[in-house]
Amino acid sequence: MTVVYLLIPAFLLLASVFGLPLLRYAWLSFHADSVLTGLQPIANDGANWLRLMHDQRYWQDLIQTLRFAFASVGFELLLGLAIALLLHQPMRKRGLIRSAALIPWALPTTVMALGWRWIFNTPYGPIDQFTSLSGISLNILGNPSFAWIALVYADVWKTTPFVALILLAGLQSIPNDLYEACTLEGASSFTCFRKITLPLLKPYLGLAMTFRLAQAFGVFDLVQVMTGGGPASSTESLALYAYWNALRFLDFGYSATIMIASFVLLSTIVAFGWWLMILLNQRGSMAVTE
Amino acid sequence: MFRWRKKLSVGLTIGLSLVLSLVLIPTLTAQEIEPVTILMPAPFADSTRDLVKDFNQKYEKSIHLDVIRGPLETEAISDLAISSLLLGDTPFDALLMDITWLPKYARAGWLEALDNGFDESDINDLTNGAQLGNNYQGVLYRWPLVADIGLLFWRTDLMEKPPSTPDELVAVSRNLQNNKKVPWGYVWQGRQYEGLSCVYLEMIDGFGGNWFNPDRGTFGLDQKPGVNAAQWLTDLIQEGISPEAVTNYAESETLQSFKSGDSAFMRNWPYAWAELQKEDSRVRGKVGISTMVAAPGASPASTVGSWGFSLLKGSKHKEAVIEAFKFLTSKESQLKMFEEYGYTPTLKSIYEDPIMLEKYPYIIELYKALKVGRMRPETPVYAQLSDVLQRNLSESLTQELTAKISMKNATSTSEQIMLAAGGLMK
Repeated sequence: MTVVYLLIPAFLLLASVFGLPLLRYAWLSFHADSVLTGLQPIANDGANWLRLMHDQRYWQDLIQTLRFAFASVGFELLLGLAIALLLHQPMRKRGLIRSAALIPWALPTTVMALGWRWIFNTPYGPIDQFTSLSGISLNILGNPSFAWIALVYADVWKTTPFVALILLAGLQSIPNDLYEACTLEGASSFTCFRKITLPLLKPYLGLAMTFRLAQAFGVFDLVQVMTGGGPASSTESLALYAYWNALRFLDFGYSATIMIASFVLLSTIVAFGWWLMILLNQRGSMAVTE
Repeated sequence: MFRWRKKLSVGLTIGLSLVLSLVLIPTLTAQEIEPVTILMPAPFADSTRDLVKDFNQKYEKSIHLDVIRGPLETEAISDLAISSLLLGDTPFDALLMDITWLPKYARAGWLEALDNGFDESDINDLTNGAQLGNNYQGVLYRWPLVADIGLLFWRTDLMEKPPSTPDELVAVSRNLQNNKKVPWGYVWQGRQYEGLSCVYLEMIDGFGGNWFNPDRGTFGLDQKPGVNAAQWLTDLIQEGISPEAVTNYAESETLQSFKSGDSAFMRNWPYAWAELQKEDSRVRGKVGISTMVAAPGASPASTVGSWGFSLLKGSKHKEAVIEAFKFLTSKESQLKMFEEYGYTPTLKSIYEDPIMLEKYPYIIELYKALKVGRMRPETPVYAQLSDVLQRNLSESLTQELTAKISMKNATSTSEQIMLAAGGLMK
């Protein structure tokens, strides 16, 4: 029973850091609080929520944010797995190579986003210089249909090492004798991968996915620096929209509404991911016992 | 026992010295040197460093001015200032502000009026462009440090004189492009951000319309000049006068294109002049400046974008702050800022000085542009209005919608914003 009491300080800390701001925002989302109200909260009977329902821009941003999150996390998991498998192989200077692989992850996002903005620049960036050799100019960042792909590309470049790191830790936790038994039975290395590596790696895959989805859903700095949400608002994310409302428009009531709505959605997605992870985990352990 | 005593004596020493320092420090520094702190964006903090040193020497006995070097980007400095203003207790007395922030800050009640510090004759000393954007509802809240104005840069080696109408600009560009003199005709800020609003303001006024009419509270975006302006900009891209990539160009990309000799015209701010005269510029000595093109019968227009000082409410050193404003914006300071850093002066007397005109002949063009300076809508909801314009204009530029429909959408959304704002203001 005493164990529960020992948890109280940690619980209080979490509640004050996460709980209080959330409650405050939930409360604020039912108030008009902007430069026009003299920055004083005035209750407005859910007008913010009504506005959100009819706010095409919110729904467009939601779709764009989900599109970005799923595309980038999907690629990151695939590439991260490949890199983790590679880094797991015994090789010379493995420590050095592993640390080198982490460099993109260690760079501040704004710095690397500025770099990518110039790399994708038309006509001075290297990408355009290369494609224009064959007479094609893609103008990626200036095109509403393609700009988001450039963002996914930059995000994958930066955060794949993070996914690889988690998966590498997972690979190291798999006991070697399982593989020995596998090869002894005469299975091909692909079968070993499918029957041993993948099932035992599932919890790690789930963990990496949950972390990355939560981060990608709140993407802000990358978009702000690379495109500012344009062209034609095709890359605007929910976090960017909430930020604009709060700090540019000084409309804190509506900004809080956007954030609470996004929080609920994100929690649902993460909870779903978590549930999926537990499910896969159970199946995974079953596969091994079979 | 011995240890306990030692602890006691240590504690007593610390306690005593604390009490002493609390009593002594204020009495020792009681010569009434007033500390004044101003938050500035990094470039301004750097360029005013010598002036601040001079000021502190001159006022050695009475005021100590301290500049907080903020972030580089305009919006980052606004975020920093707003975050601290929201908390109510700012660590600075004054703020160097962009022109578009003033109504919002004044409306939020963060600014102190400057009417006691500056009078009518001080205001009359300023050029037209620098007089704009310092007031909200008739009260003076800001005093300009530098003027800033949108300009058309052109290549003196490719043409005799700059074009004066939009059609002329297109014709000259097309001719130069056909003769393979330059890959592009005209580069400007087409990225979805504040710069695009500045570009558009010059064109809608140049076609004889206006973005916002403050007297009637109406928007002119979907009127003929508004649609023409959007259409003209869209056509520039469609017809290859401007590169397609201009839809993600901010000032730096535009400058890069013009500086490497890849375009005949560029829309930019006066800072570009000094950049274009540097060693690495391929157009060094081949650049002229002019006011923006305008349709026949309409007056040319230049977007005003100046920086100025505002006094924050809650400052305990109001008079000292105004003293600092006066020193930093004096004629001597203006000349130093211009000659050393190329900042556009605010005072008429500098532009009318024959010695200056002989030394820097191009300032006559700056003066002309400042005379036709135009303000972006002056309202606390400006950020929303500009955002709506940028979104919709960007849709036209990237061919997602036609110019006409995008401007119609921009108008109706702008009207809704003003309506909501008006409803709450009552």
